[in-house]
Amino acid sequence: MFSTRLGLSPLLHSSKQASSALSRLAIPRTTPLRLTLPSATATPRRFCSSHRSADNKDGKKDITMYLQETHDKVFENNRSWAAEQVAKDPDFFKKLEAGQNPEYLWIGCSDSRIPAEQITGLQPGEAFVHRNIANLVCNTDLNVMSVIEYAVKHLKVKHIVVCGHYGCGGVKAAMTPKDLGLMNPWLRNIRDVYRLHEKELDAIPDEEARYERLVELNVYEQCRNVVKTAALQQSYAENGFPVIHGWVFNFRDGLLKDLNVDFETILKDIQKIYNLTA
Amino acid sequence: MSSSNTFQYALSSNNAWAGYKAHQNPQFFPKLAGGQSPEILWIGCSDSRCPETTILGMQPGDVFVHRNIANIVSPTDINTTAVIEYAVVHLGVKHIVLCGHSGCGGAAGALSDARIGGVLDTWLLPLKTVRFNHAEELDAITDEKERVVRIAQLNVEEGIKVLMNNATVREAIAERGLEVHGVFFDIGCGRIRELGCGTAHKFPAGDHVVRGKHGQLVFGQDGEAEIAAAQ
Ligand SMILES: [Zn+2]
Ligand SMILES: [Zn+2]
Repeated sequence: MFSTRLGLSPLLHSSKQASSALSRLAIPRTTPLRLTLPSATATPRRFCSSHRSADNKDGKKDITMYLQETHDKVFENNRSWAAEQVAKDPDFFKKLEAGQNPEYLWIGCSDSRIPAEQITGLQPGEAFVHRNIANLVCNTDLNVMSVIEYAVKHLKVKHIVVCGHYGCGGVKAAMTPKDLGLMNPWLRNIRDVYRLHEKELDAIPDEEARYERLVELNVYEQCRNVVKTAALQQSYAENGFPVIHGWVFNFRDGLLKDLNVDFETILKDIQKIYNLTA
Repeated sequence: MSSSNTFQYALSSNNAWAGYKAHQNPQFFPKLAGGQSPEILWIGCSDSRCPETTILGMQPGDVFVHRNIANIVSPTDINTTAVIEYAVVHLGVKHIVLCGHSGCGGAAGALSDARIGGVLDTWLLPLKTVRFNHAEELDAITDEKERVVRIAQLNVEEGIKVLMNNATVREAIAERGLEVHGVFFDIGCGRIRELGCGTAHKFPAGDHVVRGKHGQLVFGQDGEAEIAAAQ
């Protein structure tokens, strides 16, 4: 079987290729939380831009090699991670295999800088995760609606976290007067958030501050959208959970800010029109 | 642990994580705030046992992520499509990794004839179609767990077809060598393996070799890996 054969390959972790691939990454590798990775001693070797030319055969081979290397690194990291989990707890994966029982549904941005599990310290098995551009919860999007329904009705999560982040590219794009083609229908939802809070946002003179406030208001509105779903309203009426939280992640210090969304008030507020409990 | 305790735990754990990261590397967060340039777009299942960045052994800033029920890539789903567009056109990722996994609840749901209810039956329709198209193969598998594994793998292959025919992805493959990979995460052992679909088959033999100092790992077409002595 694949796994046992792979388990015999500790020597591969010292691959020169892997360490040179690691050294090229923008984020310093000096502080792995869970891993011991080969130290990056080789000088960064980036392929030169002239190699991008399609006529340059050697250049093309270089790029192929470069692309291949970065992918190999991922498989090596994965093997080290799996080995480390087993070293800490021989039954780690057996327990995981038995099933999931997460208490959280995390709805966050696709942005690479916000891996839900790492920033919250939640372990595999603890958070059910949906991530899309700008952490939106749209009524007609079957993708996110399926996630909410599955998490609430079938997994019976206790908390739903909508997590946005300052510096969100999706929110910024929606503030830009530009036709973004295929992304228009998606980003339109953020423009609608602006329209709902137009007065408050227009009153903020500083552009950066206005943008940050729109990020927060977007989280707030997406929390409202979660509350408007039948799955949430019915489960809350029956079980008293899940409850909704709105958080914003700040890259500058790595901290999560709780927006203290008043869940009960939102629920009462929306149910005049959006009541789906019957 | 009571549920309000787990909630407090997540927030306080974030505090500890942020402090640890900043202590180890004072430039960590200022660099993150500067922007993202991930090389990988990950499309995986929402399943809590598949935390992509952790199982890949990567760091914040490395992997752009979309996760939905049963890692379905549906051609007209605007949510996934917007993610692909943003990642490929605006961020210029070099790899798209579509990952299925063992023990997938969505895959198991699609194998059952029972109606799940709500919007889930409609969302899982592409998986139902996979089941229909491969009925003979799937019905021949007696072990239920294995049948769930197999349909989840076939689902990745179908998703790869959708990805490879997405106009934006096609252009990026032709113009700058974007790679598309179908992979499978085995929860029982924590390891990922390639399924040999996507752009991988386009590369000449030998390119799928991970070379180490004393040996090499060769990915075959069926995803089986073998270790050979170094050449
Ligand atoms: Zn974002
Ligand atoms: Zn799954």
